[in-house]
Amino acid sequence: MILTRNVIITCGTGGVGKTTVSAALGVRAAMLGRKALVITIDPAKRLVTSLGLDALGDQATDLTPLIKNACEKLGGTCLGSLDALMPDTKKTLEDFVYAFAPTPAAAEKVLKNPIFSILAKEFSGSNEYMALYRLKTLDEMNYYDTIILDTPPSRHTITFLNTPRVMKQFLEERMVRWLLLPTNRIFSAGLRKALGLLEKLTGAGFVTQMLDLAESLYQIQDIALDTVKKLESLLESEKVGFLMVTAPNPETVPELIHLIESLHQYRFRFEGLVLNRTLSAFKISEDEWAQAHQEVERNRPDLIYGLKILDALQTREKRLIEALRNKLANETGAFYSVLPELVRDVHSVEDLYYVADGLKNTQPI
Amino acid sequence: MTQLGNPALPILSKLLDRQMLFVSGKGGVGKTSISRAIAMGYARHGLKTLWVAFEDPLKKPGELIEAEPNLWLLNCVGTVAFEEYTGLKIGIPSLTRLFVRNRLIQTLAQGAPGIHEIVLLGKVWHELANYQKIVLDMPSTGFGLAMFHSVLNFQQLFKGGPIQRDAEKMMKTFRDPNICGNLIVSLPEEMPLRESLDLAGLLAEVLPGTGPGFLVNRVYPEIAPLVPEHQSPFPQSAFDYLCHRSQLEKINLKIWDDLKIPYLTLGAVEPPVHLDPLNPSLTLEQSSIIEQLYEKLKAAQLFGAEPGGH
Repeated sequence: MILTRNVIITCGTGGVGKTTVSAALGVRAAMLGRKALVITIDPAKRLVTSLGLDALGDQATDLTPLIKNACEKLGGTCLGSLDALMPDTKKTLEDFVYAFAPTPAAAEKVLKNPIFSILAKEFSGSNEYMALYRLKTLDEMNYYDTIILDTPPSRHTITFLNTPRVMKQFLEERMVRWLLLPTNRIFSAGLRKALGLLEKLTGAGFVTQMLDLAESLYQIQDIALDTVKKLESLLESEKVGFLMVTAPNPETVPELIHLIESLHQYRFRFEGLVLNRTLSAFKISEDEWAQAHQEVERNRPDLIYGLKILDALQTREKRLIEALRNKLANETGAFYSVLPELVRDVHSVEDLYYVADGLKNTQPI
Repeated sequence: MTQLGNPALPILSKLLDRQMLFVSGKGGVGKTSISRAIAMGYARHGLKTLWVAFEDPLKKPGELIEAEPNLWLLNCVGTVAFEEYTGLKIGIPSLTRLFVRNRLIQTLAQGAPGIHEIVLLGKVWHELANYQKIVLDMPSTGFGLAMFHSVLNFQQLFKGGPIQRDAEKMMKTFRDPNICGNLIVSLPEEMPLRESLDLAGLLAEVLPGTGPGFLVNRVYPEIAPLVPEHQSPFPQSAFDYLCHRSQLEKINLKIWDDLKIPYLTLGAVEPPVHLDPLNPSLTLEQSSIIEQLYEKLKAAQLFGAEPGGH
């Protein structure tokens, strides 16, 4: 996958280790000789600190020397490079508006509109739009061989996939388009009534501000629509593959299945699945059970209690993976990879090296 | 797990005494089971209780079912709540239909961020008149918080209309520590703990005085180191995993201890394995997890001493 796609988008629900997997993929890409970039939105502090990336920000930071060190210690070579970047969404949004507005004054007018600033606040809570815009800009630079986008957490990851479509719909919506024509406000009776009601509900200022914003948006409509369409065709193209990351537990797997089904609906490429944080990589040995029972006799029941929970979790996990593979039996061509839960938070690039190494073992679903 | 004398207990008891409880936290920490266990506790103490989940795609939109005596479960969905709310405000059914079926209004309602959030909270706010207790299973961290921000934003935006007046009344209720409380659920892991504190800070800005109380869920039993250190971050055996896991949790929770954050821990329980692995709602409904959590919360005397009393 690293060698066949230029853009890898990692998706998954919160708490499954998406950022760690994305970073490890980046390490693997660099080791395979690619000029790689990881874009991440909200990484764990310890992960960032352990990589010496406290200054990680809107500009790319070079991780290659760290990877070369790890390779020297643990074996392997790093022929490529890896950069990491954490986009500043507020700045990206401003860039976006300035890039599209016909004049800087028009851009400022949009940025100052109260509805826009509130919409922007709401948007920056979700980040999807800006992450994708940033991806598109970076892809067009043609500088990196591999860009890994660690998708921002969404309420439902589906919102992320839906982003280009919603934007397109919004910009294409003929009713809106027509309404936006400031000189042509001859509304149908129904629309006039609806607007009247809207004004009653929202108070006088809102409808005026909305029409005002609509007018500004109208000026950038075509160019923005063009950008969204380009983005959509990028996401649908051969260049891009979607990698699902999940932890095999009943809270996340049903959403994952739903997500994979939606990928096809959006005509995005489902490339593979990483089952992260698995617990069934090791067996509980007879010795361990025996020792735990001895501890109970010494009035220390914690060990047996822990083993029992672990045992039940392992059984549940195996059944879940089995059911998941059956469910995805039609996904020919897709792969899956199993990564055990780590015994510590990622401390260093060496730890990422191990995770990257674990990602090597893939099998068809 | 006895935690008598834990300073978190009086805080949590007080929170659970309020009419409306927001249960928040990162995704996957067990908000759903814990909020359900609390709602179950209220219902079994004879209080008419509504438990609310937002936009559960695996349930019917707007579905309201009686799970057991006194316990109602609602799947609160934006589109349904939007129609209900506008109906309430416009008053005339034919006009409401005209309004909500208008393409522009539909585009606005779906595309404009924030509208969903405000009508969802508005719906729940209206239900305060109908139930003695309301427990909300909030969307994960940022998105739960965004719901309150939306109400504030709309309050600024819709000057002088009925929406603004409602938004103001809603915020007044949500900020009233005699009515509402915030409970944050976490796990003994780095990101959930960190996010919980971030969330607490942000909640304190939006809803000062309503808590929060903290519950740390799924804490493993403490196990002394039995195995040697190794270079690979992958576990080498079951003991290796358990020891490291409990050490890591201890380190993580020590940060909270040092900050003197009062929290109650709930020990990990054996998960049910005998049910349909791909249907979590079914597993949750039919497993004993909610019951087990309810027993734990009851043992900590969070619902008061006597069933039937308040």
